[in-house]
This record gives sequence, structure tokens and C-alpha cells, in this order.
Amino acid sequence: MIISMPFLSIWFRRTNAMLITGSFMLLLLLAGSIIAPLLFALDPLAIDATRKLEAPSATYLLGTDEFGRDTFARIVYGAHVSLRVAFAATALTAVVGIILGTVSGQSRLADAIIGRISDSLLVFPGFVLAIMILAAIGPAEINVVLAVFLLYVPRVIRTVRASVIEFITADFVQAARSVGIGNFRLLAVHVLPNATGPVMVQLSFGFAWAILVEAGLSFLGLGLPPPSPSWGNMISDAREFIRTAPWLMFAPGAMISLAVLSLNLIGDGLRDMLDPRLQNKINL
Amino acid sequence: MLTYAIRRVLAFVPTIFITLTLIFVVTRLVPGSPVWALIGNQSVDAARMEEITRQLGLDRPILEQYLEWLPRVVTGDFGQSIFFGRPVAEIILERMPITFALTLLAMIVTIAVGIPLGILAAIRRGGFLDYIGNIFSSLGMALPSFWLGFMLILIFAVELQWLPASGYRPLEFGFWPWLSRMILPVIALSLAQIGLIARMTRSTMIEVLGMDYVTMARAKGLREHVVILKHALKNAMIQIITVIGLTFALGLGGSVIIENVFALPGLGQLITTAAIRRDYPTLEGGIFYLTLVALVTNLIVDLAYAYFNPRVRYGK
Repeated sequence: MIISMPFLSIWFRRTNAMLITGSFMLLLLLAGSIIAPLLFALDPLAIDATRKLEAPSATYLLGTDEFGRDTFARIVYGAHVSLRVAFAATALTAVVGIILGTVSGQSRLADAIIGRISDSLLVFPGFVLAIMILAAIGPAEINVVLAVFLLYVPRVIRTVRASVIEFITADFVQAARSVGIGNFRLLAVHVLPNATGPVMVQLSFGFAWAILVEAGLSFLGLGLPPPSPSWGNMISDAREFIRTAPWLMFAPGAMISLAVLSLNLIGDGLRDMLDPRLQNKINL
Repeated sequence: MLTYAIRRVLAFVPTIFITLTLIFVVTRLVPGSPVWALIGNQSVDAARMEEITRQLGLDRPILEQYLEWLPRVVTGDFGQSIFFGRPVAEIILERMPITFALTLLAMIVTIAVGIPLGILAAIRRGGFLDYIGNIFSSLGMALPSFWLGFMLILIFAVELQWLPASGYRPLEFGFWPWLSRMILPVIALSLAQIGLIARMTRSTMIEVLGMDYVTMARAKGLREHVVILKHALKNAMIQIITVIGLTFALGLGGSVIIENVFALPGLGQLITTAAIRRDYPTLEGGIFYLTLVALVTNLIVDLAYAYFNPRVRYGK
């Protein structure tokens, strides 16, 4: 089954600068957010009224906010919060997207229903749909995950559906069917592995996008409720002090950009690797 | 062309109904009575509570509510805003021009910068300009637009004091007071889109430049700028037009957050305040109008695309 995943074999054949840079940046980010709490005593919620709005110093690397909370600690734990939300949304999108995409690639009736619903989810510009959902069910971590999932799942469904339709009629799949392989095994072993590449590309962009949407929603006051140290919340809190304590604004935005950039690079790298047409163009 | 246009416009009708139905369903997902969410922590007597419930028609069965709501909103009547106490349509009409101006300006900037950047990157592929353009567009797409907005405020309003930090002045106060408050939001909104459109233009141009007719034009001995502008770009434009429409729709979505950064009293700001205050009639109306503009833009793009590319009209 591993051999039938096309992206793995190409992985080793072609070195890919974007993919490597992106993966390296993401690993660095993840490692930093895991190791930092082990090395330093960090508490993102500890309030110290005597040290409000302090500029960056040796004790407080990134200064303190209006409650005297350590910005560095909040950035580190913000990585946990923001990446957790984005990861949960992406994982949910992957599972549901693959299942619904497979179903709609196989049955005409299901395709009509699922297709219509996912098309209508895509009608709303930007994350207006997410704003509407969160206004109705209230700001909470799980609700943000749900909203981001609903916004992105139509794209994954489409990608999986296209691959299923393309490969279900392929000779090697028909051959497998004629040997008497059951429908489930046929899909899981012979058809779906062909969708791995395109879906991986979709999901890395989706992950990046989820981070941006979560930050945006939190910034608007519709995402994670305070005092959660999500990066979007930190930017939202910092706006009041943009003239007096601008350093509060720098770090969370830089972290969001770094995370999104690394995931976009991974997505671009994967796509270049998987799309032979694009490869030829680059080699021209 | 006419048959295609008619078919496309007819397909527009069910989309509107589905959009409205989705808005209706989502805003009524609230567990319990939305009236509680609406009044929040205020202490309100039972009579007022009942009045709001009746005013919103929430005492009737959901299907009946829908059947009453749908024909009403199709005519543009979303009822009274709970917070503002005025008709929703009136508030939206006041705010629409601001959002429209912001999105339109951002689109113009995006096209003026993005397309030439993409063409230059395609011509000088692998060169210095391509490299810089690539970094620029990758960064542009990674920076959260609202954070970029604050950085612009910090640099141009707080430090350099060249432009006002936020707020809005109607055109009646003069062109510069109006424009000076639009410049920073437009930059914040267009940067990500410039990256996107530059990339699309670049890849489309590269594809077209590899076509036989371009090689043919070169073989005829035509000058390079003639080959690029008359032969390649003209064909690439078909693809790029689609992206321009996409940019406008993206800008509408992005304006929601940018208007909040720069305190521009547009439709996006209305939607977010309505969402936070749970002013449902305003929220429903705001979202519908914003979505409608995006849908109409898409329709125009589709028609333009079919006009420039006959294959779309005849093919299925």
C-alpha cells in the first residue's frame, strides 16, 4: 500500500527547496513551542499588576501586556492553542472530506445532494459564513473548529471526488474488481491512494488557511473567548495599546505569518512535485 | 451567447434561494430562544421579552416563519434592526458605498500591480525579478491582513504621521480627506491579492509563452514586446479576467475584517457588530447583500469569460 502512494516515491527522487524550507520552518515552530515550556517557567495566564505594559527586557523577552502577563509565555502557549484549533479543523476536514468525496464519486444521487450543499457553502465571500455560524452558536474553541471545517470541506470533497471518478474506471481498478475484490477494499487500496497527493496539497493550504481564519475570528471577538492566548486574541488585545506598547502587536502577527508561510511553502512544494506538467514548465 | 447568458442568469435564481435558506437555517441554529442571546445580561421584564419574541415572529412554528420570511426578504425587506431600531435595508444602503469603494480601489491597485508583476516574472523566469516577486507574493499571502493593517497604522500614522490612523470622511468633506483614510485600508486589503494575481498571471503567461503560435510569432521575426503583448498576453487575458472577478469577491470577504481595523463604517463592520450583538435581522441582511454582490460579480465574470472564450459557450 505504501508503494502505491505516488507522492512517496517522487519524494525521494526530487529534492524540493520549497518543501524542505517549509517543513524545516514548521518543525522549528513546533519544536520551539514544545521545548520552551520545558526550559522556562512559563505561565500565559499569570497576572502581575506591578509589571503592566513593560517593554521587552531580559526577564520578559517580549514584554508584558496590560495585565502584566508575560507576552513570550502567551506566544508559546498561543502556538499550542492556534495550531490545535487549526489541526483539529484540518483533521476533521480530511476525514469527512474523504468520506463524502468518495461517496459522491460513486453514487449519482449522493453526488447531487452533497454537490449542491457544498456549492452553497462556497457561495459566501471570505469567512462571512464562519461569522454567521459563530454568531449563532457562540464563540468557543469547538465552534471555531466546526466553522473552519464547514468553510473548507467542500474543496476537499471536490478533490477526492475528482480522483475517485478518474480512477474508478481505470483498467487496474477494473482488473482488481474482476478478481473479486470487494467494494470497500477496492476503494481503500486501489482508488483512494491515488488521491493522496492532491488531498495532501489541499490540506496543507487548508491548515494555513485555518490558522488565518481562527486568528481573524478571534480578532473580531468571535473566536476563542479570552483569556485564551490565541494569536488572534493577542493582536486584538494589543490594538488598544498600539501607540504606547507597539511590541505587543509584533510577535503574534509574526508567528501567524511564519506558520502560514511554512504551510503554504509545503503546499506549493508538494504541488510542484506532484504535477508533472508544472515540473516540465520549470525545467523548460 | 444569448442562450448561454439566459441559462446562466436562470441558474442564478436557485442560488439566491439556497443562499437565503442557508442564512435562515444558520441564524436559527441557536440553542434555546435567540431572544435570550439577544438581550444578553440586561434585565428585561417578561412583557418586553414577549414583545421581542413576537416582533421577530419566533412564537410561530419554524416552517411558518420561513414561509413568511422568504417572500419578504426576496424583496429586500429584512425588517427592523434590533440594535439601531431602523429598517435594515436603509442601514445597508448607507454603508454599502463604503465597502464598494474600498473593494473597488483594492481591485484597481491589485490589477495595476499584480498583472505587470506576473508578466515580468514570467518573461524573466528564474531571474532576479521572478525571485523577488515570488518572495513578495508568498509573504503577501501569509501576512494576516488585519495585522498588516495595524503595522501600516504604526508606520504611516503613528510614526511618520503622513496619514490618519483610522475613521471615515464622506466625499462631501473633500476628495483628500476621503482618500487619505482609504489609502491604508486599500493597501492592507490588496497585498494578499496582489500576490495571488501575480502568481496566476505568471503561470498563465508561462503556459501561453510555450504555445506553438508564440514560437511561430517569434519565428516570423516579430519584436519581443509585440509577441508578448499582442500574441501572448491577449490569450492569457482570458484566464486573468476570471482571476480579476475572483479578486473582487475576495476583497469583499476581506473587507469585513479590514473595516474593523480601520473603523470604516461599511457593510463588513455592520456584519461583525451585528454578529457580536446578535442583531439577527441586521446580520441576515448584511450577509445577504454582501453575498449578493459577490454572486453578481461572479455572474458578470462568467459572462465575460464566455464572451471572450467561445469554447465555454458551446461546450458543456
